[in-house]
Amino acid sequence: MTSDEHGLLKDAAAGDSVALEALMSRYGSRVYRLAYGITRSAADAEEIAQDVFLQLVRKGGAFEGRAAVASWIYRVTTNVALNKRRGKRREVETSLDDCLPAYEADGHRAGSRAFLVADWSARPDAELLSGETRRVLDEAIDRLPEHYRAVLILRDVEELSNDEVAASVGDSVSAVKTRLHRARMALREILTRTLGPPA
Amino acid sequence: MMTCHDVIDVLSDYLDHVLTPEVAADLERHLAGCEPCRAYLATYRRTRALGAQAARLEMPDEMKARLRQFLLERVG
Repeated sequence: MTSDEHGLLKDAAAGDSVALEALMSRYGSRVYRLAYGITRSAADAEEIAQDVFLQLVRKGGAFEGRAAVASWIYRVTTNVALNKRRGKRREVETSLDDCLPAYEADGHRAGSRAFLVADWSARPDAELLSGETRRVLDEAIDRLPEHYRAVLILRDVEELSNDEVAASVGDSVSAVKTRLHRARMALREILTRTLGPPA
Repeated sequence: MMTCHDVIDVLSDYLDHVLTPEVAADLERHLAGCEPCRAYLATYRRTRALGAQAARLEMPDEMKARLRQFLLERVG
């Protein structure tokens, strides 16, 4: 992360509105995406963004320059969003196990041949990101646990490395990798059930 | 020889190009002879891109304006 971001943070914390504008311009949508990704609520994401930027200007003066500004912002956002979600979670979180690949004893995947070879990957974005498929995709993302969604956003949208994601969400790299892979497999499975032949 | 289970377990690492050359070569040998795993890889990769596209939101302009106002009232 660039040293000018540390300067921006210090200046914003000291009440410099130009520096605050620059931070908002640079991080506003990133904070919103992550907050929305975790809570799946625009209203909650807006409150989280307010809370996060308020923390930036109130605590940014004490920020130690050894860490990356982006990681700190993502970490604050993740913590605020997960706290906000506490108590709002469904009573029993849906297990992802039925959306993960099943295997035979010899290591082959279980299921009908037609389902196993279903390949919808060449279908155009316009078809996959609209209508019924988009609804299925959004519901599949809703179904992921919050920590999984946080990792998915940071890794696949913000394109952070596994190490950077781990630093941002306060988890181990191995936990990040496991969650990411399980999240992608679950989404893939749900999409294939919609787009391919029956399992 | 890798099984389908072994292949799927390391698919994320394969796409990140962090497998050892030996394991990557073993995986590719498996893919060459396994249509279900080729379909799995193609749809897994596409799912990664679709998930990212679906989640790539921008903060709405009116929300930006409210955030700016909120902050200026408190720190201005």
